[in-house]
Amino acid sequence: MRRTRVIPTLLLRGAGLVKTTGFRNPVYVGDPINAIRIFNEKEVDELVLLDITASRTGKGPAFATIENIASECFMPVAYGGGIGSVEHIRKILGTGIEKVVINSAALRNPELVREAAREFGSQAIAVSIDVKRRLFGRYEVYGDGGSKATGHDPVAYARTMQDLGAGEILLASIDRDGTMTGYDVDLVSRVTAAVGIPVIASGGAGKVADFTAARRAGAAAVAAGAMFVFHGPHRAVLITYPSQAELSAALN
Amino acid sequence: MAICTRCIMDTTDPDIVFDAEGVCNHCHRYDVVARQRIIPPAERKERLARLVAEIRQAGKGKAYDCVIGVSGGVDSTYVAWVVKDLGLRPLAVHLDNGWDSELAVANIEKTLKTLGIDLYTHVIDWEEFRDLQISFLKASTPDGEVPTDHAIWALLYQIAARHGLKHIITGTNVVSEAILPEKWGYGYFDWSYVKDVHRRFGSARLSTYPHFSLLELFYYIFLRRIRMVSILNFIDYDKERAMEVLQKQLGWVYYGGKHYESIYTRFYQAYLLPKKFDIDKRKAHYSNLVLSGQMGRDEALEAMKAPVYPAELLEEDRQYALKKLELDEAAFAEIMAAPRRTFLDYRTSHGLFELAKKLVNSSRQLIG
Repeated sequence: MRRTRVIPTLLLRGAGLVKTTGFRNPVYVGDPINAIRIFNEKEVDELVLLDITASRTGKGPAFATIENIASECFMPVAYGGGIGSVEHIRKILGTGIEKVVINSAALRNPELVREAAREFGSQAIAVSIDVKRRLFGRYEVYGDGGSKATGHDPVAYARTMQDLGAGEILLASIDRDGTMTGYDVDLVSRVTAAVGIPVIASGGAGKVADFTAARRAGAAAVAAGAMFVFHGPHRAVLITYPSQAELSAALN
Repeated sequence: MAICTRCIMDTTDPDIVFDAEGVCNHCHRYDVVARQRIIPPAERKERLARLVAEIRQAGKGKAYDCVIGVSGGVDSTYVAWVVKDLGLRPLAVHLDNGWDSELAVANIEKTLKTLGIDLYTHVIDWEEFRDLQISFLKASTPDGEVPTDHAIWALLYQIAARHGLKHIITGTNVVSEAILPEKWGYGYFDWSYVKDVHRRFGSARLSTYPHFSLLELFYYIFLRRIRMVSILNFIDYDKERAMEVLQKQLGWVYYGGKHYESIYTRFYQAYLLPKKFDIDKRKAHYSNLVLSGQMGRDEALEAMKAPVYPAELLEEDRQYALKKLELDEAAFAEIMAAPRRTFLDYRTSHGLFELAKKLVNSSRQLIG
């Protein structure tokens, strides 16, 4: 069996990469082309590239930038940010990106997921779900880059997305984002128990053992941001990725 | 073309002069510098112990004793090794200018993890730095690496000052890098130069670019009393042996070529300098090794017959550099064809530095 995929998440803001904490306070971490070149050589399984400003500006995806980045990538890439229509998806897939990640548009217009899955196949459509923990441990889906409560329960919402044809769920914990304190395994178990499609755990990874924990909770893949770009107590920018041997030992 | 009878420097350095025996000015300068700065073997143990005690004393009560720069290259990695070996508590500083190779970051990671050293990284905004690098390409001088070098020194001073530290331990050293003709590379301490080139050819605002004016340099050196320590001059620094230690103890990996851990440096030294300026920096590097007895002169001449870098990799680097700098072929061709200039064509603090050098030559270790 193929081992659990381990996926660096890169956040694009304008032309540069940033890393957030709790979906806020973006810290500049460098130029995407250079980061990708390093990740290529580190032979990462996949990449998730999320443009965190594309939705907010309303301009839609920056196709030229996406194409420029995609052409440098040796690994499969999922792109998210500002996707609002089937036409957007067609253009993005045309740049060499394997998979799109839909978030805001899925909340606003769930039918887009159905149309997109029908047109391009479920394997090309991932839905990302950003979750915050509320009082008394209740989970809630947030929209607009983690800024707006939607009232949705993540488990029910994930099931809906699966039924609409999403091929994969990118499940992000807003509270854990950038903290490197471990995934919210409770959240991961609840969602993975409710759906049959692969779930990528995201938010909180700080060490390889966290991947193991997420896998035990049912995650089919794990994503991490801070862990792959920050090093040590000063959160110094230094791109890193565990060796294949380390990953096999932790995830096989 | 005349070539020195002792080292392998030649008239591709426009300022080279030979004595009656055909020995060049670089050799004579090397002899002086080596005498001044390499600590004689008999005094090493004692001088080094005194230095370490001084650094430790200055770091008392602080989180670190000193600052070291790390690039993933041989010299800086060996400094990290030596400093830890001496029992000091360094803070490592890295400048990310957007050109780190995977080997460089992997080397830094392995070194710091194995030795237990904390890291601080400054990432220069790429759009800003791209603008500055292109400015220097358009300036048409061989000093295209100055934007990186200046920022590294500025950053080291800034971080030392921020943590209240008095010592910056550097990998600069006499045995492998005392020779560099001024017209092959000038200006890494000269913010006036950087500013003037950027004013003429750049457009972005330099807001995250670390820099220091002469006044700030004065502040760091004389008011904050921050000292640059070239620790490799205190030990028997043999490059080959150093690399062996690093490979064995740290899992460090060699990248082939001096400072080739940065892709831009590789492109600049292996492609741009030879093709546009007829400068092959290996001549200076090998000459230095010849003078310090780490390489035979014949061996150096023989090594010069090999290409600077394999042609297909050179082309790969060129393509990548153009893409990253967002230069098209026409713009790059224009850069390559532009008439050669030197720093003398720009506003610099060169005259002031020459004056200062004469004045402080006796207190050399202050500025490393």
